[in-house]
Amino acid sequence: MKYRVGIPRALLYYKYPVLWTTFFEELGVEVVISPETNKKIKEVSISSAPDEDCYSTKLYFGHALELVGDVDYLFIPRFGSDHKFNVGCPKFIALAEVLKSMFPELPEIIMPFFSKAKNNHGKLKILKIIFSIGSKFTHNPLKILRAGKRAFSAHHDYKKNLVISEEKLKKWENSEVYLNDIPVQEHEKGTLKIALVGHPYVINDELASLNIRKILELNGVDIITSEQMPRSLIEKQMEKLDYNMYFDNERELLGTVMHFIESKTIDGILHLVVFCCGPDSLIGEMSTRFSKRDPEIPLLQLVLDELTSEAGVNTRIEAFLDMIERRKLKIRSDKNCQSHGHILVQ
Amino acid sequence: MPITWPYFGSMTYVSEILAREIGRKDIMCPKTPNKRTFEIGARHSPEFVCTPFKITLGTFIEMLDEGADEIVTGGCHSWCRFGYYWPVQKLILEDLGYDFKFIPLDYLKPSNFLKTLKDDVSVGCSLWQVLKAFRVAWIKGRFIDLIDELHYRYRAIELEKGISDKIALKSFRMVVDAENLREVRKLKKRIPELFENNVEVDKTANPLKIVICGELYVVFEQTLNLDIHRRLNDMGIIVKNSVTVSSYLDAGHKANPFITMHYEKARKAAKPYLENRCGGETLENIGDIILYKKKGWDGVVHLYPFSCMPEIITRSFIPQISRDHNIPVISFVLDEHTGETGFQTRIEAFVDLLERRKEKNLI
Repeated sequence: MKYRVGIPRALLYYKYPVLWTTFFEELGVEVVISPETNKKIKEVSISSAPDEDCYSTKLYFGHALELVGDVDYLFIPRFGSDHKFNVGCPKFIALAEVLKSMFPELPEIIMPFFSKAKNNHGKLKILKIIFSIGSKFTHNPLKILRAGKRAFSAHHDYKKNLVISEEKLKKWENSEVYLNDIPVQEHEKGTLKIALVGHPYVINDELASLNIRKILELNGVDIITSEQMPRSLIEKQMEKLDYNMYFDNERELLGTVMHFIESKTIDGILHLVVFCCGPDSLIGEMSTRFSKRDPEIPLLQLVLDELTSEAGVNTRIEAFLDMIERRKLKIRSDKNCQSHGHILVQ
Repeated sequence: MPITWPYFGSMTYVSEILAREIGRKDIMCPKTPNKRTFEIGARHSPEFVCTPFKITLGTFIEMLDEGADEIVTGGCHSWCRFGYYWPVQKLILEDLGYDFKFIPLDYLKPSNFLKTLKDDVSVGCSLWQVLKAFRVAWIKGRFIDLIDELHYRYRAIELEKGISDKIALKSFRMVVDAENLREVRKLKKRIPELFENNVEVDKTANPLKIVICGELYVVFEQTLNLDIHRRLNDMGIIVKNSVTVSSYLDAGHKANPFITMHYEKARKAAKPYLENRCGGETLENIGDIILYKKKGWDGVVHLYPFSCMPEIITRSFIPQISRDHNIPVISFVLDEHTGETGFQTRIEAFVDLLERRKEKNLI
């Protein structure tokens, strides 16, 4: 009989999807991933999760409860961070234990603890984790080792495909390439370029983000997400801050916003903030302040939670797109006038 | 260059001691926050940042208006947002047009802490002098804690209302004004004597005992916690803070191999529920609930500011701990909108529950 391991499709899953699934599949385990967030999961999460948790964490509860009865094990890693001293979200560390405490009926939870920051975990710890999980399912150490190796190489490839290189970003900024498949008829108008900034578990979750990616795509907008940004550019931006931004997940978001405010190569920035996310409250404030100081690139900040209505968000996005489109036209006509003026003077 | 720092309950005295010890004469002690401070702070703060951010920002604006131009505050690299308060507050205050200097003290790195104190805060002190000053501050901090503990005990059973408040204020000034360590050491006997001789207590009373745990700032900041200590004392209940800031600063006791700090015990006790540190005082609070039950305390009040990340974790564990160890725990989320009447009603209901439990156990 094959063991069934359940992974909730929320939070960190969006960061390490390939790593986890490959590892368990290589071990010969059936991986069950909870379905995409739907209305039912949302309702369960809101009624069962603690009131003050952020919206994304609440959704995690729904996803985990969705898997009860269907699986033998739940995989909920307690993940600190994978940086020397920059930390992640404290809730990720306690998530497994909180779930166990609140819902004793859950199946056995596999909860490896890993944190490079503060606990100084390294490769040896990863090896230990791989073996402690693997020995639950197989007695063959070679198989476990191979599974671990393949999982990490698959994760590496996944990251390589996701993150774009600096040259490609340059080309995109100069409108030489497209990052998404844009319908041909939109090409002639001159597509808008927008940076979609937010946590991977928000922008990739259709229900939580109210399908913003789709809406933008239908409007013929070429988007770049914060997780696609080259890491080196982000680190360069972070050096400009007074004080090291020590939330590892937030560096990406703030770095993307700061980069585009500085480079002024795109038409707008769309920042998705989750209600009650701790670090987001600070990052949101910082990006609005930076944008106010250098208001060349328009920035729209949307706060999402379980009460956000789809129609309201749609209206705001449409208004935002209209605004930047008109702005672009105006800039272009101003330029035309200028060049015309030059000709007349000559 | 007047210097100021955020208001932090009785911890403000410790900061004052430290500032004086390193030779600052131009001290502006922060004012006790009031409703107006809350309003100013909340107006300029991000929407769902935790409440201490808003209150400290309000205090800074008030103090800058009064003429301070150096602000000392904490910074850290932990799982909590606290370390990133000052860069954001600096942006906000700069946009408001204030001209000042922010001095963050990274308390997780002792070498940086002392170096910043020496270079930026002190007036021409050597590193040795700064270390000595810090030593005085942590030793006096122990007495500030002692006064708090005695104050919350005597106020519950005093016969003449208001006398222990006066004594506490007097002894706080005694600790702050003590000139050298020899005098400070004498206080160890004098402060308890002062309370014993001056406060007449009801010896027949058999009061309930409640521990207050939670996020440090809320536990200490009386305007934010709506002075829960006084409210409970007025009902004749002995109150104690389980965590104190001075115990974290107390490098002397930390270095002493014969003393186990209370928070270390608490962290150990919390292991069955939560293994790893995840910022704030999560482990300490979970442990404290268990430890104080073993010591025979009647109930626990858990306080935390709205949207505090680590304490939400504690809050999620509380139902199970309360069931496992048979101890009533009540959690309060506090922010600038907390209504006084609702708060009072909930406290009264909790106290009624404890009283009935006690009667039942006696019978």
